[in-house]
Amino acid sequence: MRPAFLSPQRSFKPAMTAGCAAAFAMVLAPLVAIIWVSFFDNKIISFPPKGYTLAWYAAAWDMPRFRDGFVTSLELGAVATLVSLLVGVPASLVLARGRFRGREVVQSLLMAPLIVPGIVAGAAFYMLLIEFEVLTGIQIATTFTGLAIAHSLIALPWTIRLVTASLLGVDSQLAEAALTMGARPLTVFRRVTWPVIRPGVVAGALFSFVISFVDLEKSLFLVGPGTTTLPIVIVNYLEWSVDPTIAAVATVQILLIAAGLVVTNRYFRLTRAF
Amino acid sequence: MSRVSAAPAQPPAGGRTRAGWLLLPSLALVLVGLLLPLVLLARYSVAQFEPAETAISGLTLENYARFFGDPFYLWILARTLTVALSCTAICLLLGLPAAYVISRVTRPGLKTVLILATVIPLLMGNAVRAAGWMMLLADRGLVNSVLVFGGILSDPVRILYTGTAVVIGLIAVLLPFMIISLQSVFDGIGEVYEEAALSMGANPWVTFFRVTVPLAMPGIFSGCLLCFVLAVNAYATPVLIGGPSFQMMGPKVYEQAIKVYNWPFAASLAFILMGVTLVLTLLSSLTLQKRYGAL
Repeated sequence: MRPAFLSPQRSFKPAMTAGCAAAFAMVLAPLVAIIWVSFFDNKIISFPPKGYTLAWYAAAWDMPRFRDGFVTSLELGAVATLVSLLVGVPASLVLARGRFRGREVVQSLLMAPLIVPGIVAGAAFYMLLIEFEVLTGIQIATTFTGLAIAHSLIALPWTIRLVTASLLGVDSQLAEAALTMGARPLTVFRRVTWPVIRPGVVAGALFSFVISFVDLEKSLFLVGPGTTTLPIVIVNYLEWSVDPTIAAVATVQILLIAAGLVVTNRYFRLTRAF
Repeated sequence: MSRVSAAPAQPPAGGRTRAGWLLLPSLALVLVGLLLPLVLLARYSVAQFEPAETAISGLTLENYARFFGDPFYLWILARTLTVALSCTAICLLLGLPAAYVISRVTRPGLKTVLILATVIPLLMGNAVRAAGWMMLLADRGLVNSVLVFGGILSDPVRILYTGTAVVIGLIAVLLPFMIISLQSVFDGIGEVYEEAALSMGANPWVTFFRVTVPLAMPGIFSGCLLCFVLAVNAYATPVLIGGPSFQMMGPKVYEQAIKVYNWPFAASLAFILMGVTLVLTLLSSLTLQKRYGAL
């Protein structure tokens, strides 16, 4: 007789749990490794560590390229968030209100930045900016402006998706009712629409920031001297060395992103974003 | 349409026509940031390569001919597709149980933790995750050090800069996408069908593979497609974990555009990459529609 845990009745749950554990081990291993190594008291990664220290965090902060990259990424994230909200929220209001001719086309266009691979879109945008520079003499490639346009674009679909999701299931006639009762459009927005979309807007803002902050493929073509984002600095550093300093830098990014998403999740069930 | 304000019984139409301009800024952003660039890229992909010249000249298919005529590039495409296929298969294998467990967890707190543990890595960025794998897999990385320290290996084995390492790294990147896609379909299916099957005497495995999985098929399809597309287009993982000798399509686009400065060839590489992506997306959505009706 085979043991009880091998019977189909009993083996299902343990097998599923084991599969789940294996999956999470794969997903979390690199992050755990980074956080662990960032405290190692060795210049070269080796096991077991000689001891633990916080020195690498200070060392990383003292390296201008990491500090500059961090600041650039923060600024870029803020600008991309702002722009994607300013153009995305109005679009979401129109899209969520219902059908009109060409709605499908508009929606696919606005979601397209998600579908076109980052490396393709990045190369294409870079070539456009260089052509533009050749024609007009105005340099946008490898400047903050170019990065800001690209990052606003990749944040846009997420903003629209999250804000639209927060409007689904809300009676669109509420706003109409307020309008017919004589409220001015701005009042309607402030008193009726805004309270409804606020969770979506907050989640959209946080998401946009995260998407912009971690972007690598799109920025790759657009960064230049003085405007290099943190992920690119990390990649450039990794091509030469893998040490606790870079682990400390990566840990800062992990904590920042994790905090952003935990906060987002309080406003908006994260699974609704996908 | 013009009588909308006078006829609140049919409110929509007029309000929307007036609101149409609200779409303009976002459409302008997509136009400038994505559509125009893609048109230019298409033009470049059929242009003659003139070293040290940015002006577009000529109309030729030789960039595509060069790609499809050179075994070196075909080999890179084949390798890219093979890596993507293996990653997708393993992601499905690991993603199914993970997503199933998440969607059937009853304690809301635990469910939130598991979802955050999926979404946080998903949005962590490829640079950081590649860094993690480099620390784990390097010759003197954590995995080798622990194995040697524990006496299991006498000398470190080479893991980093191999195809295996790239597949491992990509799985970690793609698995969260698979889990999130599958989890939402499993949530949507609910437990009633499973309970029905179980109460009729099917064992849990039969129930899972004969009831739950077939019901989840559209989600499984789209999860696999998403993984495959992301794997084909990967950049950071192959560059950092695969090293210079393990070449894939994504890094080649960058190399041709920025390092070799052959824009026409870079453009045609990018279009081949996007073509593979689009053809697969179209084919699978057609298959899905045929089998499961409009989604």
